[in-house]
Amino acid sequence: MLQRFLDPATLNAISGLDLIAKTVVDGFVAGLHRSPDFGFSQEFAEYRAYTQGDDLRHVDWNVFARTDRCYLKRYRGETNTQLLVLLDTSASMGYGSQAVNKLDYARFVAASLCYLANVQRDAAGLIVFDEDVVNYVAPSTRQGQLFRLLHAIEKAEPGTRTDFTKPFVHFQNFLHRRGIVIVLSDFYEDPGLIVRTVEPLRYRGNEIVLFHVLDPQEIEPHFRQPVLLVDMENSHQSLEVSPEYARHDYRRKIESHMEALRDQARGAGMDYFLMNTSRPLDEGLREYLSVRRRML
Amino acid sequence: MGFFAPWFLAGAAAVALPVWLHLLRKHRSTPLPFSSLMFFEQRTQSSIKHRRLRYLVLFALRALLVALLALAFAEPYVRRNILPHSRSGEVTVLAIDDSLSMQAGGRLAQAKQMAKSAVAGLHAGERAQVLAFGSRVAAMSEVTDDHAGLDAGIDSIQASDDRTSFAELARSLRSIAQSLHLPLRVLLYSDMQQTGMPTNFNDLRLNADIRLEPHPLADKNTPNFAVENVIVPRRVYDANKTRVLATVAGFGTPKAIRRVSLALNGRVIETKPVEVPENGRATVEFVSMEVPYGRNKGAVTLDSADSLTADDTFSFSVERADLRHALFVHEADNTRALVYVRAALDASGHSAFVLDPATPEQTANLSPAKYAFVVISDAGILPETFEHQLRDYVAGGGSVFVALGHTSAGQARVPVGEQTIAGTRYAGREGDLYQTAASLDTSHPSIQQSNRWDDVKFYRAIRVDPGNARVVARLTDDTPLLIDRQLGSGHILVFASTLDNVDNDFPVHASFVPFLVQTANYLGRLDTGPSSVTVGSFAELRDSQEKGAAVDVLDPKGERVFSFAEATKAQNIQFTLAGFYDIRRPNGRNELVAVNTDRRESDLAPASTETLTLWQNTASGAPGAGGAAAVEQRPLALWWYVMLAVLVLAIAESLLGNRHLSVDKEGA
Repeated sequence: MLQRFLDPATLNAISGLDLIAKTVVDGFVAGLHRSPDFGFSQEFAEYRAYTQGDDLRHVDWNVFARTDRCYLKRYRGETNTQLLVLLDTSASMGYGSQAVNKLDYARFVAASLCYLANVQRDAAGLIVFDEDVVNYVAPSTRQGQLFRLLHAIEKAEPGTRTDFTKPFVHFQNFLHRRGIVIVLSDFYEDPGLIVRTVEPLRYRGNEIVLFHVLDPQEIEPHFRQPVLLVDMENSHQSLEVSPEYARHDYRRKIESHMEALRDQARGAGMDYFLMNTSRPLDEGLREYLSVRRRML
Repeated sequence: MGFFAPWFLAGAAAVALPVWLHLLRKHRSTPLPFSSLMFFEQRTQSSIKHRRLRYLVLFALRALLVALLALAFAEPYVRRNILPHSRSGEVTVLAIDDSLSMQAGGRLAQAKQMAKSAVAGLHAGERAQVLAFGSRVAAMSEVTDDHAGLDAGIDSIQASDDRTSFAELARSLRSIAQSLHLPLRVLLYSDMQQTGMPTNFNDLRLNADIRLEPHPLADKNTPNFAVENVIVPRRVYDANKTRVLATVAGFGTPKAIRRVSLALNGRVIETKPVEVPENGRATVEFVSMEVPYGRNKGAVTLDSADSLTADDTFSFSVERADLRHALFVHEADNTRALVYVRAALDASGHSAFVLDPATPEQTANLSPAKYAFVVISDAGILPETFEHQLRDYVAGGGSVFVALGHTSAGQARVPVGEQTIAGTRYAGREGDLYQTAASLDTSHPSIQQSNRWDDVKFYRAIRVDPGNARVVARLTDDTPLLIDRQLGSGHILVFASTLDNVDNDFPVHASFVPFLVQTANYLGRLDTGPSSVTVGSFAELRDSQEKGAAVDVLDPKGERVFSFAEATKAQNIQFTLAGFYDIRRPNGRNELVAVNTDRRESDLAPASTETLTLWQNTASGAPGAGGAAAVEQRPLALWWYVMLAVLVLAIAESLLGNRHLSVDKEGA
């Protein structure tokens, strides 16, 4: 049951792809990500004049033979990193007009990314939050880490309302190393507030990716008759909505919300990707990873 | 305003359906959980109100649609006043009676003259049509405003020997009015014979847009004598003098003495005076007619001295022929059946057959082909050659009558017919131990006029399996008594008992004579029709085997009735003229048919004024000639207009409803 959110079709679709950090990240062992240090990779970095104490193994003897001077040939260092997935489990994530609701979709994404990180020997961690931190699995590469993550994903259920401010203050305490932070949420909040809340993580050298998980009915609502909408995060709040309003005004507003969030996130150096739950998961995730690889 | 079917108004209750759909059902909003109401606003209510208004318009349309539909089915009508001048496009129909009675006193000429005067009085552009009617209606012109064409149509009307039928005229007028879709003004020129009126007055009804104006040519009863009927045998078979019985009738006549003559082939044989009572009938009997061989034209003529002479002569045809032979096969030691059968045929008076008796042994050298029919009266085993000849004889059109008795009981099959003999049914001669004929098929020619067999006792009957043959009579225990089987073109009639007075007492009952006479006529294919027919009756010209062969028919004027092409195809003929029709068939069966006019035409008494007024009033109270200024009221059905409104509303409802639905379509 722990592998319920590991869809073979999805894993198969992303099997040839890597989740590689765009930024320089810290790590203990050799990996796929760029390290701030020089290392032993195949990628040439620079020549530097030999100084006393340098390891003679790095001297380019060909250059010495031609110039009679000692130069060191330096290569880029490659290391592993840590992946931290922030999963929003607020009540609004429980909405779904189709077979899979938003939370399930986000759990599929989280599980797939954790699996990918595990395959890359990156440390993967998980923070489940709604208006507070609900669960935390520290990033690790230890044996059994994947199962711990999947178990935490399995236990994640729709909770109360979303509050970005409070849990994100906690996140900053958890993150000690630079790595990749992926936020899976429907972001029903002011885009400026979201960016301002998440931005401090970016300052610490993390790469931030916002996965905006939305149901097609939220993007383009389709009502045949006037309906009484009840807020899932506040059942006392309800509104009678006409199909015309949903067709015109609402769409305009949600589109401007998504556009503002995308612009402000990219302005703050974060990555933004809209995940429509009507699309097959493998297709959406594969598209994101492919686009990301070309951007590197 | 009224309704033809007010019960359909109950359908207006269906208005409750749109009421429920719009006013009751639509206020219910479906609560739907949604992830966040962050982007929804309270002002959406105004949109709903706007839509509610549009829904109300749709609701009104739908409710009106249902109500109008119920109204249309209730068939509303209003009474509309129709002024006489509103009969635009009226067509004048000039109906002229050309029946036999119009020959009296120059009435037909008078009618034609009056019709021409009416044509002259027509306005320019006013259309008219000329009809001639007797028992049938003939259009003598088209519907036209050409006066010359109308006059020509009137001139072409000739006196006929037909009888008057006002019912046929009314039917034709209804048909013309329906096909033209225009009001008709009918000018009727006739002697208005009472005998031309149908027995059912409803047959005279006219459409509402037909205005009848009768112009009677006779206002009082005109006396007329006529030879009403002549009774004479159609065929005679001996040289004895034949009895002729004539009936002379006086219609509206005083008591008078008239002379009546009998003529044969144009030669007056006898003349007798007869005293005809006032408005009554008298009978004259002629007993001196000797009929020569062949087909003869006879006539009884009356010295009437009245205006209608066409009914003073009654024609008849009489044929002198030789007796035809029929073979009677019987056991040598049993002649009782022969005695009874011969006595029965002789008792009929005009039997066309003479019986030639023969024993089974004598039949070996006989050919059945020369006999009109063959009777096998319980003859036992027949010579094989004779039986074989009999089968060929029947297949070729001959007929055999087989009576079964104790001799036949021992055989397995019926002679010639080959039906299986199952056994013998015996009954005692005392008490109720006998059988009677339980069911008779009275449509069979053998028992058509002799169906009273109730008291005939059958003591013994042979059980015969009828197979697919026609069972004409059965006994009380369901034993077939008389079986008619067709073999080829001929018939085999099997009587499951004997023709003597042993197995039954049939020969000593009165029904035995007509049974045998009719059976003989049926088996001998003797045509026993009357010696004369009336104008308008039909005769069959050929049977199914005579396809393609020409039938020559000469009418009383000596002219051929059919062209050569028609003569090879015509199945029957209608006699339209009084006199003698000479029919010559391809098989040599020539026939002389005497045709007389219908004697109902001889009664010249006109119909009463009340009857004519009633006839005029059948046109939904259409006014008579004197009431032209009256205003008539007619119901005008409105359902057509209501259905038109329903159609318009349905289109509007579709368009409006489609606009509502289009919201969903675009959203999808």
